[in-house]
Amino acid sequence: MLQLPQGSDYFGMFELPRKLWIEMGALEQKFLQLSWKLHPDNFVNAAEEEREISLKRSSELNDAYRTLRDRVGRVEYLLAIEGARKEGENKQKAPPELLEEVFELNESLDELREAKAEGGDTASLKHQLEAAEKHFEERLQGVDGELQTAAKDWDAAMDANADGATRKTIVSRLNDLLNRRSYIRNLVVNVQKELL
Amino acid sequence: MGRIVGIDLGTTNSLVAYVETQTGQPKCIPGPNGSTLCPSIVSLDADGSVIVGEPARRRLLTQPQRTIYSVKRLMGRGPADIQSELKLFPFRVDPASNQVIRVKLGEKSFTPPEISSFILRELKNWAEAYSGEPVDRAVITVPAYFNDAQRQATKDAGKLAGLEVLRLVNEPTAAALAYGLHEKQRGKVAVYDLGGGTFDISVLKLISTGEGDIYQVLSTNGDTHLGGDDIDNLMQAFIHERILQHDLIDFSPHGELAQELRKTLIDIKHQLSETDSATLRFALPNGKIFVHEFTRGEFEALIRPVIDRTMGPVRQALADAKLKPAEMEEVVLVGGTTRTPLVRRTVQEFFDRKPHTELNPDEVVALGAAVQASILDQGVKNMLLLDVTPLSLGIETYGGAVAKVIPRNSTIPASAQELYTTGVDNQTGIEVHVLQGERELAKDCRSLARFTLRVPPAPAGLPRIEVKFLIDANGILQVGAKDVRSGEQRVIEVQPSYGLNDADIERMLEESIEYAEQDFAERQVIEARTEAESILSATAKALANPQASQLPAAERASVEASVATLREAVKGSDYKLIRRQIEELNRATEHLAELLMNSAVQSALEGKKLAEV
Repeated sequence: MLQLPQGSDYFGMFELPRKLWIEMGALEQKFLQLSWKLHPDNFVNAAEEEREISLKRSSELNDAYRTLRDRVGRVEYLLAIEGARKEGENKQKAPPELLEEVFELNESLDELREAKAEGGDTASLKHQLEAAEKHFEERLQGVDGELQTAAKDWDAAMDANADGATRKTIVSRLNDLLNRRSYIRNLVVNVQKELL
Repeated sequence: MGRIVGIDLGTTNSLVAYVETQTGQPKCIPGPNGSTLCPSIVSLDADGSVIVGEPARRRLLTQPQRTIYSVKRLMGRGPADIQSELKLFPFRVDPASNQVIRVKLGEKSFTPPEISSFILRELKNWAEAYSGEPVDRAVITVPAYFNDAQRQATKDAGKLAGLEVLRLVNEPTAAALAYGLHEKQRGKVAVYDLGGGTFDISVLKLISTGEGDIYQVLSTNGDTHLGGDDIDNLMQAFIHERILQHDLIDFSPHGELAQELRKTLIDIKHQLSETDSATLRFALPNGKIFVHEFTRGEFEALIRPVIDRTMGPVRQALADAKLKPAEMEEVVLVGGTTRTPLVRRTVQEFFDRKPHTELNPDEVVALGAAVQASILDQGVKNMLLLDVTPLSLGIETYGGAVAKVIPRNSTIPASAQELYTTGVDNQTGIEVHVLQGERELAKDCRSLARFTLRVPPAPAGLPRIEVKFLIDANGILQVGAKDVRSGEQRVIEVQPSYGLNDADIERMLEESIEYAEQDFAERQVIEARTEAESILSATAKALANPQASQLPAAERASVEASVATLREAVKGSDYKLIRRQIEELNRATEHLAELLMNSAVQSALEGKKLAEV
């Protein structure tokens, strides 16, 4: 009754190949279909063991759907199952090419905080930060573009049954891009918070 | 197994509903006075008996020290949480409260789940009296935005009332279920639920599939302390201020006078949903009558801040569902406070769409709960609810920050795994602090639980403990741990920060026997006996009547035989047998009753039973 499609990971659960392009409509259909089977509502009067299994399986199904539905979430997940993203890894390293800009940004942020605390003029600083925010948002879009390209490369490598080394190269590129993305995103969020 | 019901345990009113077997339609069950609304008010009599509902409401005026309303506001909350409530509500918190609040009713004190269990027990009795069958299982609704502790407290209340709680269902989701069944709605639906004390907004997608209909919640948001109570508080403060200015009378919000004023103002509020003005006349202790004419305009200006506060959550819910107001295909209004014209206008303007109000906003949540109860009970496989967790689940990391492990609006059940290790050699415990909320710092989120993972002494970083956080279909957290190296599984007893533990509940269940009514069968026996006594005494009186001499000897013998059998049945405790014998005696005395009536005004008494003559 509770047979899930065989497969030890989220992709397998949805009977999908380990690829990053996913047809959302089909994913949703499959999700709903599996929900009918696995949801705890179907097992209220069942034996405790069956209830436990339903709870476990349906939570895994929901976790999988949540992860695969999200463009960035599924890259992170792919990297985790490919062994490229380790628990507790420092994801917040500043990308070297951004060091200078980040340094400037942090200075501006400090100045704004000081000005705010002392009740000084914040208008020009805010203006400066708004420009910086826009700049980093553009950077973010750039990274997203690169991420998309790398994802396509990964899918192509999977289709071509590429060797371990090729896959490893793409995985490491995806990992770098994700790190850079999360770093820039944090910057943008921090700036937005100060500008509120 | 007894019957299963759906219960809306509301701030102001509570209701119980079931699905009729013949029609398959949900129906609210009326109480003894014919109303389906049971005011969520509990009073403790001086003799120790518990009074619930309408009779308790009357005691709010005569015995405010022994009576409590809006206890839902206290569910799952700690003493520190409720300081602001205490300024506005006449809750008398027992100074001896520590982790779990205890509220004083007269000289005794109770936890909020115990007080809620009195309300649930009353509704259980209504349902049993109505159906003639024991009721032992229920689906209970909770505000969608209720956190883990508030949900747990509600589940505890059910247990204390002698009910197996099969599921906690979110109120707006239940309403959507009732509407979906009634209006055959499909597509994207927003449910705006403004009740007595809580506000919820849920965005759902109703999908028809080959297997049946799926009600998928996309996002939810709300405020568990925003509702009609806040409107009442504003009106009360407004009038209190004027009375203070004009008549120099200050009265404590805890006394009889304040309760009297509140009751009068609630009537005014209800009138203003229908008319453009309403006049308050209130007798002051100095003998004067305070008069104030409320216009709709003045009322709306006064309450607008409350209504405006609902719009932040509405915007957030839409943003989380990645939808714009215009993309909603239907908007549904739920909760008594949505009768207020200003609420209807505000919602209609925001969505640019006339909201649905076809179903009674007081009953719709209970009806939906009954539908879900019947789905769970009979395994109806053509309907499925997929709900979400309203708040992100996080764990405290270095420096008091929070790492989100299950984001808000995740479909439940949902889970997350975290790997823990030690930081120093021979460390034997790892502290884990679980939180719920959207803020970045642990101190700004709600603490759900703290526990220590025990690890055998080992070099730093060597132990590997995988902790699994799971939010079940009720929105309640479960935690399990696994030692990755040994594979040993462990169940972690998570003591909710502001909840009752199993021992508490066990003890309360024992204590509750003192307050509980007899179980179903016992009560049926008592009721049947009472009825039997009354018909027996009526029959004895009738037989002694001179008119009875006209009764043929054979009939008299048959009546006497029935009397004897009923007397015999009353000695036993088979209430069904007693009821059958009552019917039998009723039949046997039909002619006797006619004879007695002939001597009286026959036409007026036709068709009456002997006991009624």
